[in-house]
Amino acid sequence: MKFKVKILRQDTPHDGSYWQTFEMPYEDGMNLTTVLQRIAADPITVDRQPTAPVAYDASCLEEVCGACTMVINGRVRQACSALVDRLLAEQPSLIEMRPMTKFPVIRDLIVDRSSMFEVLKRVKAWVHVDGYHDLGPGARIPPKQQDEAYPLSRCMTCGCCVEACPQFNDRSSFIGPAAISQVMLFNAHPTGRVDADARFEVLSGSGGIAACGNSQNCVKVCPKDIPLTDSIAKAGRDTTLYQLRKWFGS
Amino acid sequence: MAQQQPEPARAGEKYYFLIRRLHSLSGLVPVGVFLVVHLLANATVLAPGPAGAEYQKSIERIHALGPLLVPLEIVGIFIPLLFHSLLGFAIWFEAVPNAMQYRHGPNIRYTLQRITGGIAFLFILYHVWEMHWMGAPLGGGKFALHDSDGGPAAAVTTARAIQASVWIAPIYALGIVATVYHLANGIWSSLITWGITIRPRTQQVSGYVCAVFGIVLSLVGLGALRGFKTFDLTSDGVEATGHTTAEAPGP
Amino acid sequence: MAKQHVVVVGGGLAGLAVTMKLAEAGNHVFLISMVPVKRSHSVCAQGGINSVNPLTRQQGDSEWLHMDDTVYGGDFLQHQPPVKEMCDWGPRVIDLLDRLGVPFNRTPEGFRDQRRFGGTMFKRTAFAGATTGQQMLYALDEQVRRWEARNLVEKYEYWEFLGPILDTKGHCRGVVAQDMFSMEIRPFAADAVVLATGGCGSVFGRSTMSMICTGGAAGRAYEAGADYANGEFVQVHPTAIPGTDKLRLMSESARGEGGRIWVPRKPQDDRDPNSIPASERFYFLEERYPKYGNLVPRDIATREIFDVCVNLDLSVEPGRLCVYLDVTELSAESLKKLDGILEIYEKFQGVDPRKTPMKIFPAVHYSMGGLWVDYERNDATGGLVIGSPRNQQTKVPGLFVIGEADYQYHGANRLGANSLLSCIFSGLIVAPTIVNRLKSLPQGSAADQPVSLFDDSVKPHQEWMNRLIHHEGTENPYKLHQELGDWMTRNVTVVRNNKDLRSTLEKIAEISERYGNVALSDKSNWTNQNLSFTRALGDMIRLAGVITEGALLRDECRGAHFKPEFAIPSPDAEEPAALREQAGVWCKAFKAKGDRWLKTTVARHTPDGPEFHYEEVDTSLIPPRPRTYGLKGAEVIEQVWSKMGVGQEGPAERKVAVGGAPK
Repeated sequence: MKFKVKILRQDTPHDGSYWQTFEMPYEDGMNLTTVLQRIAADPITVDRQPTAPVAYDASCLEEVCGACTMVINGRVRQACSALVDRLLAEQPSLIEMRPMTKFPVIRDLIVDRSSMFEVLKRVKAWVHVDGYHDLGPGARIPPKQQDEAYPLSRCMTCGCCVEACPQFNDRSSFIGPAAISQVMLFNAHPTGRVDADARFEVLSGSGGIAACGNSQNCVKVCPKDIPLTDSIAKAGRDTTLYQLRKWFGS
Repeated sequence: MAQQQPEPARAGEKYYFLIRRLHSLSGLVPVGVFLVVHLLANATVLAPGPAGAEYQKSIERIHALGPLLVPLEIVGIFIPLLFHSLLGFAIWFEAVPNAMQYRHGPNIRYTLQRITGGIAFLFILYHVWEMHWMGAPLGGGKFALHDSDGGPAAAVTTARAIQASVWIAPIYALGIVATVYHLANGIWSSLITWGITIRPRTQQVSGYVCAVFGIVLSLVGLGALRGFKTFDLTSDGVEATGHTTAEAPGP
Repeated sequence: MAKQHVVVVGGGLAGLAVTMKLAEAGNHVFLISMVPVKRSHSVCAQGGINSVNPLTRQQGDSEWLHMDDTVYGGDFLQHQPPVKEMCDWGPRVIDLLDRLGVPFNRTPEGFRDQRRFGGTMFKRTAFAGATTGQQMLYALDEQVRRWEARNLVEKYEYWEFLGPILDTKGHCRGVVAQDMFSMEIRPFAADAVVLATGGCGSVFGRSTMSMICTGGAAGRAYEAGADYANGEFVQVHPTAIPGTDKLRLMSESARGEGGRIWVPRKPQDDRDPNSIPASERFYFLEERYPKYGNLVPRDIATREIFDVCVNLDLSVEPGRLCVYLDVTELSAESLKKLDGILEIYEKFQGVDPRKTPMKIFPAVHYSMGGLWVDYERNDATGGLVIGSPRNQQTKVPGLFVIGEADYQYHGANRLGANSLLSCIFSGLIVAPTIVNRLKSLPQGSAADQPVSLFDDSVKPHQEWMNRLIHHEGTENPYKLHQELGDWMTRNVTVVRNNKDLRSTLEKIAEISERYGNVALSDKSNWTNQNLSFTRALGDMIRLAGVITEGALLRDECRGAHFKPEFAIPSPDAEEPAALREQAGVWCKAFKAKGDRWLKTTVARHTPDGPEFHYEEVDTSLIPPRPRTYGLKGAEVIEQVWSKMGVGQEGPAERKVAVGGAPK
């Protein structure tokens, strides 16, 4: 059995994009990173034209690193966990792959997501410890609190949430669901909360929490099922309370 | 992307959060509450008894505010409404809706929220022109609380405006439904924005509550519309009022 | 006077640990990584991190016993001072991670929870769900971002290390690296260079390692003069899920939480596994290793799977090494702790492992071997002299290696949940070494090197690249890689024999020759992944040679290196006296084997291929003893062995049980 894969390609950031179709022999349990590996090994289009291999980002191939995120059959997700079987069941004629649309394309399916990491700096997404010398264990944490922190801490900065978010684009300065959720993660940490006010300042600023439009696409596309909308609602509440505290000077 | 600029020193930066929260609030409290009161008042046209009498009374009750009415209307309704609308358009401009790509309830509702906001804005412009005394200089302002003889005219003038063309009732129907949707979904969304509903489950429940609210309010509004559309203008034997009274702001 | 710089290559746990430590001390670090550091391979570590903890301590555990398990599990091939230091640091490393916000699982009272891992009887392993490596990497990534925001760390992500820059004396003065987007090649002057570039799973084609684990950086350092040690010791993890692009790990934590391995007693029984009654299931690890059960060290579990599938023909899927890993009987609470990995199985196999036993296979997982690094022994403690300029330094002065890329901590076999510890530990302790080095160097010793040193260092790489891009050849690098991987996986993994190793060496020579005739399908000068892969393939071929020849030369069985033709036959007599006599013979053979082979394999690069020599292993703390997990007559062997007085003090476990750990 063979199937077709249509890929939106772009040679450099300054070139236009174009579609190219490849035909693949089906393999058992095949996923899209395998498809891209096969293309790299034998880059010939469906019209038997040799072409350059499709450039793509990938690392762990088990959906924990977030590298191979792209738009597949119109929906953003990781190529490694996108199984050919299921994609063909979704849309039988062919599989369509394109780079994420919210980031500058470097080449083919590779995009520059550095803006997402930059935002993590702005929101101080870290625990500000005194130092790395031995100061004994951290605070004791009830299991319930760990249960809430752990899912938020699984964010791979893959970009699915911002890709699907209608409020995140180059006309808006929205920092996106991932960063908001990280704020809530660190604000809930017994030591991390020392920077809470600084984080609320960012959430209060342009593109902060108020830029969310509650389309809730983020939580639908998050591959790690992070409760992003819970984080957003809490961030909304906490930022309002923070501002009230600030205005009333307490 | 805009995110790459660290801490931009924008004018809106300092008050961004306040402005956006006021946007949410303005949609709820003055504007949303007004919409509910307005549609309920209009629905009194359906009340049993002499045609339009109850409606006339309910409007007169509002007008009992006398000289306070106009400033109250401007500060309490028009300014918040204008603020909510114009900022709403700015927010819409920032969005790239994708409900066709990611089809699920909240995203479709998100997209509709923007579309209905636009419809509501155009509809309210039209409605104010048509019914409010401010529209009079432009050939609108058809509503009158009393006729030239001081008799009740609220229902008759409204009904006459609605019945002036076959297009007007459908326009009103669309306008009412869009506006009510915008309010009902706005309430659902603001419950999240203000951090009152946090878990998906509570958001789902509030979604049902808001849906029921929206449906009921739509029925109230459409009922009123039907009341005016079917209002018997001939049997009443009312003659056309040539002008409107200056102190009668529209419903 | 120019500023001092440190280059760290690789942003996994080890690289980030040294980066944050150096930045904390006010040093400027260039952090070079092929991927955004948050996407490094450390995210794939699932199960946890080992250390003694208050609970195990009260059960009689100690740092010493952790070291004992580590060297016993590693078949005594690692130098013991670094291992001792690592185990001593274990509790502190975990405390630090805890403070950095790693969401370790908690007990109801709010303490860190622990699970049991292979090769020990203690619950030493702290964990964060089943994604511990990811959680730890993120915590360090966040810390490094903190220093990046303060301009002490400058990240060069999507940059590839091409080689160290050596001055005329052979000292490392920086690195050459290439921007993987623009393809720009440039030198980075540095007063110290740290490689934290992970393992070389790609040498075996598909493995549980990430696509970036090519061994490219290690291969380049090796070519530049850093020795490569114990390359032949490659861990094959017993439980992974096969995929067309990679083999996905199914963590040992599944067994740590109570998961059981079995096969149907009837060959290729095609019934639904859930319908096979217990009496028809062969829980072979539990039967053969009553003490450790499903938690025997990995090399043993893997060999048992091989034995059951090949020799007994009980594989669940014919023609492959496939057994059931069964977590269907676990409590909901235990399953929740495994969510992260069960999710992976479900996502990729489409079967819910909570309801149906998983089909799992052994897969290449970890390189115990790596670049040779030095250490300085502290005679007072038996551990290391912290801050010694020798620690973690390769044969090239100024070039340091840490993490999986070094060979230091795991000997012939790594225990589960020790790798996260060794990565972070080696990262943390190389920091004071580098700080001392920077202090001892004249200011700007790298930047003040002649400009020509740096300019010239770029040239060969630029020329190589231009030549390759324009080369018209007939070989396809990806197909060549597949061929290499197939041969390596078939002949240089679980069971090895000299005949196949020899033919594999010939094959590698052939592939190496054909490599000279590769052509790229991408001739562009922008984000040319084809070029990067082909360059790494050259390193893989080189390392394949080191691994295979090392395996061929080592005529014994040790840890993950298993050559049946050199196995000492197990005692099999039933009668006690005869058994005792056989045990005596066994012990003599074992002693002779140790005298001959308890040595570090060191490979040195020459243009004609690797040159091997062997170095003594420092076993001064715990005398080597037979590794008798599940061996028939183990008790007798141990008795005979202790009477032979080879290790005068006898097995350390016993010693510590009486006297406690020497401090």
